[in-house]
Amino acid sequence: MPAASNRRNIVGVKAETVTNVSSTDFPGHWPGEDHSWNIKHFRRTFRVKFFRNTPLFSQFDLIHTDAAIANTLRRIMIAEVPTLAIESVYVSNNTSIIQDEVLAHRLGLIPLCGDKDALKGLSWYLRGEDSAPREPTDEDTVVLYLKKACERNPDAKKTDTDPDKLYINHNVYASDILFEPAGRQIKSFAHDPVRAANPDILIAKLRPGQEIDLTMHCIKGIGQDHAKFSPVATASYRLLPDIKIKKPIRGKAAERFAACFPKGVIAIRERKDGEKEAVVDNVRNDTVSREVLRHDEFKGIVELGRVRDHFIFSVESTGQFDADEIFLSAVGTLKAKTINLKRDIYKMLRKQALDARRAREAENPDADEEGDAMDTQ
Amino acid sequence: MSATGSQREAYQPPAAGSSGMGRSYVPAPAGTMFYLCAECGVKVGINKGEPIRCKECGHRILYKQRTTRMVQFEAR
Ligand SMILES: [Zn+2]
Repeated sequence: MPAASNRRNIVGVKAETVTNVSSTDFPGHWPGEDHSWNIKHFRRTFRVKFFRNTPLFSQFDLIHTDAAIANTLRRIMIAEVPTLAIESVYVSNNTSIIQDEVLAHRLGLIPLCGDKDALKGLSWYLRGEDSAPREPTDEDTVVLYLKKACERNPDAKKTDTDPDKLYINHNVYASDILFEPAGRQIKSFAHDPVRAANPDILIAKLRPGQEIDLTMHCIKGIGQDHAKFSPVATASYRLLPDIKIKKPIRGKAAERFAACFPKGVIAIRERKDGEKEAVVDNVRNDTVSREVLRHDEFKGIVELGRVRDHFIFSVESTGQFDADEIFLSAVGTLKAKTINLKRDIYKMLRKQALDARRAREAENPDADEEGDAMDTQ
Repeated sequence: MSATGSQREAYQPPAAGSSGMGRSYVPAPAGTMFYLCAECGVKVGINKGEPIRCKECGHRILYKQRTTRMVQFEAR
């Protein structure tokens, strides 16, 4: 089947089944083909293509890589790229209707932003023993305050019923959180202080006489520990859809065909003889709803699928770092992990070689075999 | 993660009893306790031996105020 080789990386999406799910580009699967790992081949074929890149949202393609790599990067972005978040809340007073515990939890989930380099320069706060807790320092802790008390508005009319006119300070917003830099933070956060990334988050509502007065300590952490530390709102990928029209679809049928897909997926072109024909325009818009497979007139004419090694990532930042920075940071983390793994494998192999040599020497102590030991690099 | 100890500056964790880091807290005259009237909500100062009664409306039910002592919570 010569034609099949081009379709090898297509996952078939049939009316009721999904076919050709697993990748087959590994050694020993295809007779006479070399699929062993080759960095040159990877460098030549692998591509990253950015489609949209704004500070808070970025959409890009990873082409010609395995699902394992794409999924690793997704998981690292969600759970292992560190961010700053509120960790401890010291409540001096809270007479609002929100309980202290719930208020503390809400505060923890507020995404923070500030000088990116200063945030990256923060070190991990290491919790000490219960008996000897570690003192927070300006290197690992950021202190925030929130203090607000509600009052009656003296200028309100007697007929007013709107809380906005009746009361002052009755809404506590994320923008009310104030940063108090300490030590070196005074300099490092001078131009871009730590603050809520979204100032309009409503934290609590107050009524006259109620008050919130608290201090917060923020530390660096990762999403694995708590979701509040995750730098992304979503980091996900999908496979590029693939639509293959096997026989030309013309005339009125072309319009019916286009109607089976979301807007922009199928274009209708006018041929030289004036007849209309359906052509695939932008597959990225397709949701692979399989609507077209419900229509008998298109049976056997169209084949739906997804490209197995073409990942469309969409990364949405919570505001602390730019979306593309989060991806790059995840790549760096993956690289560090592989370096660690490599080092440990070498260590293991060295130990195995050493043990084997010792066993050999124990068997025949006279023969001194040299040059058999593993390269100790 | 350089540990340049000389530049470190330790925070003063909010100590129990004070309302946060060095912010003003005016102590009440010794012996006077403040309560909230259950009827009209006004703050009532009561000294030792005084009747438990609102000075504004005469209501006899008073609420104890929330502690202003610092309480620590984990934002989790
Ligand atoms: Zn009263």
